[in-house]
Amino acid sequence: MRAERPADERPLKARATLRLAALMAVSVALLSLLAMGLQYRLVATRLAEAQRILLESDLRGLGALYEQRRIIALRQAIEDRTAGHSPDEIFLLTDREGGILAGAMAWPEGVEPRGAGFGALPAQEIVRDGTRWLVAARELPGGFGLLAGRSLASADATLAALRRGMLGLLAALMIAGAGVGWLAARQVMGRIGRLNALADRVAAGDLEARLPGPRSPDEFGLLEAHMHQMLDRIGNLNRATHRLSDTIAHEMRTPLNRMMAKLGRIEGQEETTAALRDEMRQAIRVFDALLDISRAEADQGSGGGLVPLDLSDLACGIWELYEPMAEDGGLLPSAGIAPGVMVLGDRTLIAQMLANILDNAIKYCAPGDSLTLSLTPGAKHLLTISDTGPGLPPGMGEEVFERFTRAGRDRARGIKGHGLGLALVRAIALRHGARLSLPSVEKGLAIAIEWPPLPG
Amino acid sequence: MTDRILIIEDDPEIAAAVRAEAEALGCETAWADTLERGVGEATAGDYRVIVLDRMLPDGDGAGAMARIRAGGSRAMILILSALGRASERVEGLEQGADDYLPKPFEPEELRARLRALLRRGTIQVLDNDLMAFGDVEIRLKARTVHVRRRHVPVSPREFELITWFARNAGQVVTRMQLLENVWNLHFDPGTNVVDVHVGRLRRKLEEAGAAVIRTARGEGYIFAPLNADDPAHEG
Repeated sequence: MRAERPADERPLKARATLRLAALMAVSVALLSLLAMGLQYRLVATRLAEAQRILLESDLRGLGALYEQRRIIALRQAIEDRTAGHSPDEIFLLTDREGGILAGAMAWPEGVEPRGAGFGALPAQEIVRDGTRWLVAARELPGGFGLLAGRSLASADATLAALRRGMLGLLAALMIAGAGVGWLAARQVMGRIGRLNALADRVAAGDLEARLPGPRSPDEFGLLEAHMHQMLDRIGNLNRATHRLSDTIAHEMRTPLNRMMAKLGRIEGQEETTAALRDEMRQAIRVFDALLDISRAEADQGSGGGLVPLDLSDLACGIWELYEPMAEDGGLLPSAGIAPGVMVLGDRTLIAQMLANILDNAIKYCAPGDSLTLSLTPGAKHLLTISDTGPGLPPGMGEEVFERFTRAGRDRARGIKGHGLGLALVRAIALRHGARLSLPSVEKGLAIAIEWPPLPG
Repeated sequence: MTDRILIIEDDPEIAAAVRAEAEALGCETAWADTLERGVGEATAGDYRVIVLDRMLPDGDGAGAMARIRAGGSRAMILILSALGRASERVEGLEQGADDYLPKPFEPEELRARLRALLRRGTIQVLDNDLMAFGDVEIRLKARTVHVRRRHVPVSPREFELITWFARNAGQVVTRMQLLENVWNLHFDPGTNVVDVHVGRLRRKLEEAGAAVIRTARGEGYIFAPLNADDPAHEG
């Protein structure tokens, strides 16, 4: 059976292109994201470090004043610093009860003094009025509370700007990656598409099809060259097969011809010579059937040599040829052939096929059996030939269409045949892209052939 | 003037067999054993029929038919070839052969075909509507058959059968010729389908009183033989 191709190949192609483009875009974006993330962390660390150093120097200054004049000096210095209204620093000095000695704010909630010295550590981060602060809270001897802090707002603003920049850059990279990926994928797909188109033409029967133009010096060029070599080889084998079958025909028929001529010269033994001629004719029929089968199989799937023809007309003609023979054999023949059913076909082959099926049916049926041929148009034109004869032997199915399949009972009943008739029927059906099946019937044998309608 | 037949055939034995049949028909023969010589002879001499082989040492005879025609020959061409499958026969006829006989051939078959071709060459196209053979009349335009003025109903195919018989009246026609010319089928069905049809037509004519179709034993049929009135020849 001919493999069904996807009805439409464009979505398939687009999917592959999109997948490749998306893959490229995402991998570029991921790599840049990683790089930017590392840089972001570095900047964030540096900014935090800068604020920590500022806080450390503030504390060191306050510590120096405390060494000289204790709380008095501290209070004075903090009042001076607070009066400066610098927005990114806070200072606070409280007494034992928590009353504010200096500073423009109350002791923030939740902040516990840690340590007693003037070193930078330990420091803690708090959120006040929506901004982050790095603060150092201390309890000085005598129960005084000291708090010094540096705003992290400018660092946060810098980082936010950096994040925005990174997001923008990432989006730009995604778009650029997708674009470049799409272009690259489209080019690759285009070249694969050329090869697929070539394969389709070959599958359609054009063994001489080749890609035009020079091969490019890359993997695709190499693939094209390989395909061409393969096609050349198939073409040569095909030609050799045809030549061989012609040669066999010549070498067998020429000596048979001489025998036939000599038989004609024998006188007085008419029965023997007639029997011999009959044998020779049978041998040629077997031989022709084999060649016809292999030729039909070789041409299978190729539309070459098929022309639009009226299947109804042809079926009527063959039916009319065999009907009297069926009647003479006591059969009850009837035909229902819809007119004007057109197919792409080879008239001689289809005639041979129908003749083989009808001949077979008449051979097996007994007087009183019915023989029916019907042709109905449709999405697939259906041609059915059925009889109420003995049918197939039990256990035998589609293998009746294999070469040289003969039921044992035929030999026993003395029915002549070489087991090629139905094999030829199948080969001819396949040659026309038609589907052959054996629908089950109560009694006898039915052969159904579904024909593809004329294209267009 | 005697009819001349040209045989283009590389096998001397087959050529001799063809020559024997042609001479039995009273024709003069010439033999060419290559395509080149054959085409030259065909265009130089005046031949009625050319018996042409296909697989010749210097080419395919079927391909040379155009050259033979172009050379001015008006001979009927009978292809006689080992390429004898149905498709090859149809192909040869489509390429312009007047008849196609596969090898091995039976001498009677070749004789019948040569005779039909010789006859076709001479038959004038008659605008005569009527063909008459003794009691039998065939009216071509009305497509009817009458025996002793009485209408004999025949099917369309039987009418074509009797017309083809009538065109070759007095000569042996073979089953294969009938299948090819009346049914336009070019394969050997291997059974006696044609006999059944001829038998029916023959019975219809005989019931109307005209025994004009005879069996030529082992060869085929003869329509309206010269001694048609002699019932002793009934076969």
